[in-house]
Amino acid sequence: MNQFLLQYGKSPELLLFPHILEVGLRKNGSIQFNTFLTTATDGLKIYHILEGRFEWRINQQPHVFFPGDVAVILPGTPFGSDKGALEIGSFTWIHLGIQKENGLIQFGNWSSLSDSEGAAIGKILLLNPSPVLSRFNEAGKILKCIHAELCSKEVAYQARINHQIDELLIQVTRQMTRQNHSVRDFPKTFMHLEEMLRQNLAHQWTVEEMAALVGMGTTLFTERVKSYSGFSPINYLINIRISEAIKLLKQPDIAVTDIALDTGFYSSQHFSTTFKKLTGYRPSEFRKNHLRTT
Amino acid sequence: MKCIITIELGTNGIRMFAYDLNGRVIGSMRGYYPTFHTEPDHSEQDPEQIFITTLYVLKNILNEYIHPKKYKVASICFCASMHSVLAVDKNGNPLGNAITWADNRAKKEAQELRRSALGKSLYAATGTPIHPMSPLVKIAWIRNSDKERFRQTSKFLSIKSYIIHQLTGEYMIDYSIASATGLMNIHTIKWEADALQYAGITASKLPGLAPVFTAAGKLKKAYQQSLRLPAETKILIGSSDGCLATLGDGLKGEGKATITIEDSGAVRVMGPAVLKDEQMRFFNYLLTENCYVSGGPTNNGGNIFEWFTRQFGDFTNPFDIENSIQQLIEEASKVPAGSDGLLFLPYLLGERAPIWNANARGAYFGLHIKHERKHFVRATIEGILYEIYSIGKTLGEHRTIKSLSVNGTFGTMPFCAQLLADLFNKPVRLRPQFHSVSFGAFLLSATEMGIYKSLEDAAQTVELPDVYKPNKQRHAIYADYFTVFEKLSAKLFDEFEAIGNLQHKYSERL
Repeated sequence: MNQFLLQYGKSPELLLFPHILEVGLRKNGSIQFNTFLTTATDGLKIYHILEGRFEWRINQQPHVFFPGDVAVILPGTPFGSDKGALEIGSFTWIHLGIQKENGLIQFGNWSSLSDSEGAAIGKILLLNPSPVLSRFNEAGKILKCIHAELCSKEVAYQARINHQIDELLIQVTRQMTRQNHSVRDFPKTFMHLEEMLRQNLAHQWTVEEMAALVGMGTTLFTERVKSYSGFSPINYLINIRISEAIKLLKQPDIAVTDIALDTGFYSSQHFSTTFKKLTGYRPSEFRKNHLRTT
Repeated sequence: MKCIITIELGTNGIRMFAYDLNGRVIGSMRGYYPTFHTEPDHSEQDPEQIFITTLYVLKNILNEYIHPKKYKVASICFCASMHSVLAVDKNGNPLGNAITWADNRAKKEAQELRRSALGKSLYAATGTPIHPMSPLVKIAWIRNSDKERFRQTSKFLSIKSYIIHQLTGEYMIDYSIASATGLMNIHTIKWEADALQYAGITASKLPGLAPVFTAAGKLKKAYQQSLRLPAETKILIGSSDGCLATLGDGLKGEGKATITIEDSGAVRVMGPAVLKDEQMRFFNYLLTENCYVSGGPTNNGGNIFEWFTRQFGDFTNPFDIENSIQQLIEEASKVPAGSDGLLFLPYLLGERAPIWNANARGAYFGLHIKHERKHFVRATIEGILYEIYSIGKTLGEHRTIKSLSVNGTFGTMPFCAQLLADLFNKPVRLRPQFHSVSFGAFLLSATEMGIYKSLEDAAQTVELPDVYKPNKQRHAIYADYFTVFEKLSAKLFDEFEAIGNLQHKYSERL
């Protein structure tokens, strides 16, 4: 395949795709300096290495890429190589105009992902600890398909390309969660999930998101969590929420409403009902009761 | 109809059983809570999450099995893992997480004390081996290394004491759990002055000592309402998992020993006298006055075979380790006893009894070009059980063991039970699907209610119907290989230390 570069606003091929800022294939025959400088990425970039070996820095961390590897660079993440050097080799990439709003990644109307699926994918991309997917040629195939569709403009190519972008996001997300979790070690997987839940307790977690986070389908996930922990995923989450809330209630300076929102309840009413159901006390009573024993 | 509920606060979570007064299980439930390892050597649990999990599971078991059938809860009996420490302030609020038995942060304190004359006399007085697990050295660690927490601490509790305090407002610790703190004199049943002095505290910093039959106050009103339990529901303080597993296996009387193999394991005997061991290899914990549960614990039980399965098992069903374990056991059964001379030292987590060497590490030994994967599988299981046997053999220096019972998920697998019978050359009894710890708690509650005259009588009613008989030929093979196992475990002392040091030096993960 030959080198190419399409950019929205410059290339007529992208006229119908304002969300594709750039798509291209680059073949680099000699080492070049000051061409791959570190900048904060706006939008989402996905790179797939075809040949060579590249040393790039993503979010200050150095990573080495080999053929088949994929780099996923999230909105706002500094990305480039030291001294702007670009090594010999080739890669394809796509740059999507996807923004991070209120800490969440939002996809546009072009995507046929439902709101909740889109939110789940966005959350997993943000929580993912490693921007590198090893040996993931699937991404390269999809990028190739997008390019071919853009050039040939066969019937319904617009829909096909948007589907392919969805497909790319789905495959990247699934690969991310799979490579982080061995099917051999559920306790470790569960500990990882538990840590993520605690770090993002205020988030309105759905079972789909939790399952996807550890690379499982919801059915298997729910069954495994239940048999391992004795709880359904949501009930386990509620346990963590109430346990954290108890700790916060024991500190006198934090308002009950804030505690409710910080621990992931959607209102103080919801918090109060759930708390009372489990502990027998309303949060305010619990706090008063607790202070009285001083 | 009356019923008894037992609550076990374990290492991996909570387990509750409801029994009718004949000891039949009405229902059971469990709930997981996590252990945090935020730093190397640290092993902690969140007391609030344990409390919430307790309430949650209790509420569910009541709503599912008890209230709909109009059972009346006569008593709720507690049982817990030993050796936990939770510091609370003057308001009873936790100062950080609870430190569990598996925590190793006090290893320096433990090592120094173990070598000293004070260590020897404290071991004789308290029955608790001097080891990082012991609350005695954990409190000393807090005093030395976490001065602010030490200063703010109003009481050092066990996890069970905290949960009971939440439910009833009482600060109490039962004899069994207290006898595993390294702070209680097991002969006088009082806090031991020398131990308190070593830890740097007074008795007022500890909860009140109470016999295992003590009713630990009344449920608070809010919980009476939310759980729909009457005020007179007895909250029995209960005992420890180790003591109750021994009672639950019916272990009263001469010549009996019980083997527990869950994640970790232990071999225990019960009797009116303590084991006096010059080398400080055994624990002596207290069930009731003049009734001691003595024995040796191992770090390396079913968790080691789980490790092996995760590395080398076939996961035909994703995340289904039980299935993978079963497949491996089938593979192991195709190998002759003794694994054609492949030996495994199971000390992946260091070891307690009988070698008490935190530096010990695992090893495969005797590897020959003809050995196959299946030999590794069998050798791994044999190694775990040789270690159990080495504890039993050392116990044999003090007590004559005539018959054995086995409990715990790993130990009661038929393959393991038969192997234990062959190894010890003694009949091994067990009841499949039987939870000895909770049944021990049931026997304790039933005795408290007057259903049995004494724990002795209660223990005699226990029936363990399955018997595995020893096979002489296999015993001879195992006995031969065991001599090499035993020698290796001692001989590698220096190399264990050397490799441990190198692992510490070069690996961030170990």
